[in-house]
Amino acid sequence: MSEMLEMILDSAGRMFKDYVSQELLEAAERGEWAEELWEVLTESGLLHIGISEELDGAGGDYVDAFNVLRLAGKYAVPLPVAETLLARWLLAEQGAKPPAEPATVYAEKNHPFVLREENGRLLAGGKAEYVPWARHAKHLLTLGQLNGNSVMVLLPLEKAAIEPGANLAAEPRDTVIFENADVTGAPHFPIDKNKWTDKVYETGALARAAMMAGAMEQILDLTVFYAKERKQFGRPIYRFQAIQHHLAALTGETVACLAALNDAIQKFGDGRKETALTKMKVSGVAGKIAEISHQVHGAIGVTHEHILHHYTRRLWSWRDEFGNERYWGAILAGQLLNSDETLWEFMTEEKQANLVSQGESS
Amino acid sequence: MLKLDLPVVRFTEEQEAFRREVREFLEEEKRKGTFETKCDSWLNGASPEFSKKLGEKGWIGMTWPKKYGGGERNALDRYILIEELLAAGAPVAAHWFADRQSGPLLLRYGTEEQKQYFLPKIAKGEAYFAIGLSEPNSGSDLASLSIRAEKTDGGWILNGSKIWSSGAHIAHYMIVLCRTSKLDPNNRHAGLTQVIADLKAPGVTIRPIQFLTGEHHFNEVFFDNVFIPDNRVIGEVGNGWKQGMTELAYERSGPERILSTFPLLEELIQRLKESGDYRGMQEAVELLPELYSLRNMSIGVAKYLDDGVDVDIIAALVKDMGTIFEKKIAEKARLILSRNPSLKSSDIYDRFMAQSILHGPGFTLRGGTTEILRGIVAKGVVAG
Repeated sequence: MSEMLEMILDSAGRMFKDYVSQELLEAAERGEWAEELWEVLTESGLLHIGISEELDGAGGDYVDAFNVLRLAGKYAVPLPVAETLLARWLLAEQGAKPPAEPATVYAEKNHPFVLREENGRLLAGGKAEYVPWARHAKHLLTLGQLNGNSVMVLLPLEKAAIEPGANLAAEPRDTVIFENADVTGAPHFPIDKNKWTDKVYETGALARAAMMAGAMEQILDLTVFYAKERKQFGRPIYRFQAIQHHLAALTGETVACLAALNDAIQKFGDGRKETALTKMKVSGVAGKIAEISHQVHGAIGVTHEHILHHYTRRLWSWRDEFGNERYWGAILAGQLLNSDETLWEFMTEEKQANLVSQGESS
Repeated sequence: MLKLDLPVVRFTEEQEAFRREVREFLEEEKRKGTFETKCDSWLNGASPEFSKKLGEKGWIGMTWPKKYGGGERNALDRYILIEELLAAGAPVAAHWFADRQSGPLLLRYGTEEQKQYFLPKIAKGEAYFAIGLSEPNSGSDLASLSIRAEKTDGGWILNGSKIWSSGAHIAHYMIVLCRTSKLDPNNRHAGLTQVIADLKAPGVTIRPIQFLTGEHHFNEVFFDNVFIPDNRVIGEVGNGWKQGMTELAYERSGPERILSTFPLLEELIQRLKESGDYRGMQEAVELLPELYSLRNMSIGVAKYLDDGVDVDIIAALVKDMGTIFEKKIAEKARLILSRNPSLKSSDIYDRFMAQSILHGPGFTLRGGTTEILRGIVAKGVVAG
């Protein structure tokens, strides 16, 4: 780990620890926006990592950013950190200056928003479901169709009707409806919709994997702490072999997820194989981790009062976002089926061309 | 707090070139009929000829100093070599233990004379070592072992037995962990010493133990008043437990704890490819995230071991999770491509399947049972 990264993570960790209290998480769950934390985050430059300084970014690279996301997951930061970073990266890639306000991203290649030019105005129509943080975000970066061409468009959410929804962790996952909305001036860029959607999914998947791995670290800490504190039959429960096996499984899966994640972060951008494998690995054991931690915590862990559920419910949500195991597995299966490599060559290759998403539609 | 992150390794171009070199060598040997791919070949595929061939190439003890016959290559070069050997199911069992742990142990604790005497022979693929830890009455509870060495003029007299010693019947030496002073119930790890026993010495009897398939790889080895010269004590008298524990990190974290059944998975994937079975392939790829994460863990541990970092707990994790994965390959494969497994089949898939299933129970026992490993991990994580 570079010294720079260590410094960034150190300050981010302290910030999240200071600000993300259980009260804050509960307020966010009621729909409140964590304005103060957002301000501090903006000040810190953490939301501009991975963007060059010419575009008002903070420099740094994806390795830094994904590690910050891991910390955001560890503290269950109730803000669209991943979504804002993702939107900003995609805009910066087009050479556009990213907006300062919170943003979100929605990519579904078969459901673009329809854009129409009319008397010098730009009108938008369409509906998207399960859009993260839409009610709080100011911008939605999404796929549009303009004169039969695919574009990436930054839509102003103030022009949309928003129906609130939620994931299992009560994080906003809203329905966004643009009905002949005047979005004149919304920046748009011609793109290849398949490539663009793949890129969003790839980046989003690694972001969620990082956040889940962070949540797993927290869950492991909480569970070990509880197993040492809680006494039954006259001794701390960690002394029982049955509990020890649970702790070993939690530790093992957490270490395994981190080993996958760290490799995928290093290789991010070289090809989607590592991201696919990592999202599959992390999503694949998220349920097991949640299950074991609740089992060790006993009844207290299923109360709203206890903090454990803030992390376990996020695992149950995030494992399906930006592609679950089956989604990424289909992509890998398609790749292997059409390759003349052996499996061993495939698994040990350091670099490879981008995977194509032939599995997705079947 | 237990450090959960392991180093991330990116292989260099030279290392990638070395990987290709190993791969080409193995393909050529297979073409020549030197060996046939087998599952679990690191335990079950002993071929002194093949070991000598690897020795000639400098591929045994390749990280050791040149003056002891090594190649002074780095630990990751060696990692590449051994994972390629395992993926190809090559017959590496004869020299495996000596290369993996006996040699490194001697390098760390051995005398100059021992290093000069043993290491070059190991590196040539001519001297094989067996592990002497378990005893008939001491399995998971290793510290309860009862084999004794009594001091005599110029050496020690060894009495007792060791069991489950894989390859002892072809090995030349065994590193025996024995008791050199009376058991202290308050410090059961004290008073243990590692000695090198010559398996051809008078008083040594090797009794084969048939594996459940009828195959012979493990043995019970009896020592009846076997003389061990003073210069065959490794390290310090009484320090055997600690020395032995450093071996375990090598023993538990290598790719052989992940790849024992890999040939089956490779064959499955090739057949699904040939038949264009997209559904089967979707099921099969569900095994890959585990392979990917375990391989990264194992490589990370190899890097840590090379840097001298203490990795006992993570090594235990690799073994626990890796060996469960090895068994899972067969359990998934049998449903994806259903055939009748048989050791005698003319079809290689059926044979790989049979080898994987029948050898499976051993994966999670040898080198420390799953239960013992989980205890180690849990205690480590609780101690923080």
